[in-house]
Amino acid sequence: MLGLNLLPPLVRTGMAMLIVGGLLGYVGTATATTLVADSGLLGGGGESNDAHKYMMAFVQRESESLSRLGPARDVVSRALQQQNVSQQQQAADVKPLSVTYLGGGSSGRISVAIYAVEVQASGGQYQFFPIALTIVGGKVVRVE
Amino acid sequence: MSNARAAVILATFLGGLLSGTVIYAVTDKGTEANPYASLPRLEEPAVTAEIARAIAADDARALSNQLDMEVLQQLKTAIEPLADIRSMKFVGAVESKGRVLAAYVAGGRTEDGTDILRGFVLTLTGDQIVGVN
Repeated sequence: MLGLNLLPPLVRTGMAMLIVGGLLGYVGTATATTLVADSGLLGGGGESNDAHKYMMAFVQRESESLSRLGPARDVVSRALQQQNVSQQQQAADVKPLSVTYLGGGSSGRISVAIYAVEVQASGGQYQFFPIALTIVGGKVVRVE
Repeated sequence: MSNARAAVILATFLGGLLSGTVIYAVTDKGTEANPYASLPRLEEPAVTAEIARAIAADDARALSNQLDMEVLQQLKTAIEPLADIRSMKFVGAVESKGRVLAAYVAGGRTEDGTDILRGFVLTLTGDQIVGVN
């Protein structure tokens, strides 16, 4: 098949080993990197990429990104979320002052990431509040 | 199989392994940098540590002595639907303008036996817990 039989057995075996080794190396490194990043062993505090992206979309009020990173929803729920975000944008021009990742934990497919956010509204009103994200399988399923 | 042949096969496997690792390292974008400022982290406040200990020890009496009814109600809402808390972990605390936020992750089971995690934050002003989120 595909002319592979024309190749000497040693070359065929070598190519197979190269492909198997490459896949193992890629998947192994990806798994190890994710585990180490989530545990916070090598700095970074264990912040997951999904949580980070969601928080950035949250403070920048990007409704499209929030919908994409959140759980799968029906079209009406997504429209309501976008309307909610645009109403908030009209109500107050909020400027984020700081976004601090406090930490989190994970168990199986569930992980929790907690942030502290400081914002200042256009009227000068200051707010300092926490946000806890619950993530299941890469999707933010709960925001408090 | 000759030694030379085995060595070639092993070498190609190791070469593949190394290539896979290098390709991942080159293509992985990692976590993007935070464009906003971050507050300095604090040690676990003693007051919130006592609350965490009481929760982990399933000590309702200590909790009722340390928190008022409103804050207890907020805590109940924050940890729902956990019915049996089996682990408590302090994850971090920050302070701004006299208010301290101390974050915890509680692990345990719901009433139907599902293992879940819940994150909650105790808000501290001075030595008093004024809220739970």
